[in-house]
Amino acid sequence: MMEPDSAAILTEDLTKRFGNFTAVDSVNFEVRRGEVFGMLGPNGAGKTTLVRMLTTLLPPTSGRATVAGEDIGRHARKVRERIGVIPQALTSDLDLTGWENVDIYGCFYGVPRSERHKRAHRLLEMVRLSDRANDLVATYSGGMRRRLEIARGLIHSPRVLFLDEPTIGLDPQSRRAVWDLLLELHNESEITVSLTTHYMDEAEQLCDRIAIVDHGKIIALDTPAGLKKLVNGSDRVEVQVDGNSEQVAASLRTQTYVSEVTIDGDKLIIATDDGAHVIPRLIESVESAGSRVTSLNVHQLSLEDVFIRFTGRTLRDEAAKKVSFLVGAGMPQQR
Amino acid sequence: MKTLAIMRRDLLKLMRNPLTLLSTVLMPIIYLVVIGNSFQGQLRHLPVAVVAQDHGIYARRVVEQLLALQAGPKTVTLSFVSDPGTAIAGVRNGEYKGAVIIPPNFSHSVAEGRIAEIGLFTDNVDTVSSSTLESVLSDAAASIKVDFVTAREPKLNEIVMRPSWLFTYVDYDRSLIPGVIVMAIFMGSLMAGVFNWVMDKFMGVTECYLVTPLSRWNIAAGILGSGVTITSAVAVFVLFLGLLITRGTIEGGFPALMTLIGIIVITSTGLLAMTFAILGRAGHPRLVGTFAGFLNVILFFPSGAIYPVESFPPWLRSFAAYNPETHAVNAIKQILFKGADFAAVMHDLAFLLVFMGITLTLASMSFKRTL
Repeated sequence: MMEPDSAAILTEDLTKRFGNFTAVDSVNFEVRRGEVFGMLGPNGAGKTTLVRMLTTLLPPTSGRATVAGEDIGRHARKVRERIGVIPQALTSDLDLTGWENVDIYGCFYGVPRSERHKRAHRLLEMVRLSDRANDLVATYSGGMRRRLEIARGLIHSPRVLFLDEPTIGLDPQSRRAVWDLLLELHNESEITVSLTTHYMDEAEQLCDRIAIVDHGKIIALDTPAGLKKLVNGSDRVEVQVDGNSEQVAASLRTQTYVSEVTIDGDKLIIATDDGAHVIPRLIESVESAGSRVTSLNVHQLSLEDVFIRFTGRTLRDEAAKKVSFLVGAGMPQQR
Repeated sequence: MKTLAIMRRDLLKLMRNPLTLLSTVLMPIIYLVVIGNSFQGQLRHLPVAVVAQDHGIYARRVVEQLLALQAGPKTVTLSFVSDPGTAIAGVRNGEYKGAVIIPPNFSHSVAEGRIAEIGLFTDNVDTVSSSTLESVLSDAAASIKVDFVTAREPKLNEIVMRPSWLFTYVDYDRSLIPGVIVMAIFMGSLMAGVFNWVMDKFMGVTECYLVTPLSRWNIAAGILGSGVTITSAVAVFVLFLGLLITRGTIEGGFPALMTLIGIIVITSTGLLAMTFAILGRAGHPRLVGTFAGFLNVILFFPSGAIYPVESFPPWLRSFAAYNPETHAVNAIKQILFKGADFAAVMHDLAFLLVFMGITLTLASMSFKRTL
C-alpha cells in the first residue's frame, strides 16, 4: 500500500494508453526525498508521457501516483503547488525582462509580493543573471534562458523539480553551468529533482539513481555504479580484424577471460573484467582463429554501454503520427 | 493576483510589440480610406459615343444637354460618331461605356407629340457605369421639353414632397466608421486573444501555465481580461482616428461615447470568446491566420458596414440577422451618428449580450486544463 509521505514520487501501476498504443505500461517506482532521479530512454520510450502524468498535464488511464505527498489525480492542484517544471523547450517570454519572467511566475503560485521579490533577487543571483535581470529575454543566449527558467521554476520553493532535457542544444560551457547549478541546488537544499535526459554523462554526473525506460516500462533502475554492475565485464575492448569476424567471435567466446562478444559492423566488442591485461592473450586468440588484429581500443564500461545493452542498437523512429489531411500539422495531436 | 499576473504578462507582451498593435489599427483604417474613396463619388468622364442622325431642333437640344453634361458635372466625355454600327462596336470592345443614337425624324416625332425614342446602348457588364449613364442620359433627354412647361404655382390638391434630414449629414466615408470599429474589434480579439494563446501553445508556453496552480478560471479570465482591454483600446483609438480622418464628431457627446465604449467592450468579449470557441484548440498559429481571413469576410461584409443589409438577397439577410457584427455596426451607427438613447439600441445590445453569453460558455467548454 502506498504511503504518500514517505517518498517524493511514488507510482503504482501507472499506465497511459492512447487508443491501442500503450505509452506507459504499469510503471512502479519510488523517488526518495532530496534525491536527483534520472530517466533515460530512447525516443518514444514513454519518458515524456510519464513526466506529463506526474506533473498533472495528462490524466493516467489507470494506476496512481503521488508527487510531493499528493495524489496526482485527486489533488492535482496541490501537486502543482508543490512542483516546479522546466520543460525541454525554452519557454521564457522573449518580450519580458528576466525579472518580469520570474516575478510573474511567482504571482501564478500566489507568492506574496515582498517574499517574491526577495526570492527573485536571490534566484537571479544564484543563476548569475542579476546584472541582466532588467534586459529583455530576447537579448539572452540559450544558456542564459535555461538558467533563467531554472530560477523561474524555483520561485515558489517547490519540493520536486522536474527537468526535461535541460541542457539540450546548449554549448559545453552552458551545459556545465546548468550542471553546477543543479549540483549546488542538490547540495544546499532538500529539493527532489527528476531529470529526463539523453546525455549519459549528464545522468552519470548529476543523478543519484537512474531509471532506464523503454517501451513504456522501467527496465532497469539503480545508481549509475549499480547499473554498470548489471552488465557483464567492467571493460570493453573494441577490436577490428582482417579475417572472418564471425569465426573470430566464436573462438573468443570460448575464452574464460571473455564475458561477452558482440559484433558491431566490422568491429568486435569484447566484454571483460581486466581489459589492459588480457590484450596479449586476446591478440593470440585472434591469430589462432586465422585472423590478425588491425586496430584495438580499450575503455571502461560507460553508462552508454549499459544503456545500449538494455535498449539495443535499433534506431527508434517514433511511430507516424496522424496528420490532418485538411489542416496539415495545424491541429493538436494526441501524443 | 493570479488572473492579474496573466493579464500583466499578455499586456506587457503586446505593448512591446507595437507592430502587432499597429496592424490591428491600420487594417481597419486602410479599409476606411480605400473603400471610402473607391466605392463613392460621382462617376466622371464616362466615354460615350453620340450618333446624331437627325439635325432637327429637338435633336440639337438633346445634343446640347449632352454637351452640358460633359462641360458641367463632367459625367461623360462625348465622341461624335457618324455610324451607329461603329458606335455599338465601340461599346462592345470597351472603347465606350455607352452609345446614344438619335434616330432620323426624332425632332419630327417630338413636334407631333408621338413617341420619340433615343437609342442608348450601354456596357451593362459594368453595372454601376451602365445605370449611371441610363439615369443621367434619361434626365437629359427628358429635360428638353421643360421649355414647354408653364411655370405655375402648386395647385391645392397637389402633393408636394419636401425632403428634410433628421440627422447630421453623414457622407460615405464617415458611414464606414462603425464597420471599421467592428473590424478593429475583430482583428484585436484575434491578435490579443486566440492568436496569442495558440502561439503560446505552439511554443510550449501553455504547458508551463498548466503545471502551475492557475485554475481554468484564472487562465480564461486573464486571457479574456487582457484581450478585451487591448481590443477595446484599439477600437476606441480607431473610432477617434476615423472621426479625425472624416472630420466627424460623436452625436450625443460624452454619454454617447460611454455607451459606445460599452458596446465595444461587449462586442470585444463576444468576438474574443467566439474565436476561442472556434480556434482555441488549434495547434498551429497558421490555422488561426487562415481562419481569421475567412471569418473576417463572412462576418464583416454581410454586417451592413459597407452596404445596407436591405440590399442583400433573402439568404444573406437571414445570415446578417444572426451576425453579431451586424448588431454591433447598427448599435454603433445609432449612437455615433444619431446620438440615440438606450432604447434605440436595446435590441442590438440584447443580441450582443446573448451572443457573448453563448460564446463564453462554448469557449469555456472547449478549454481543457490538461493537454
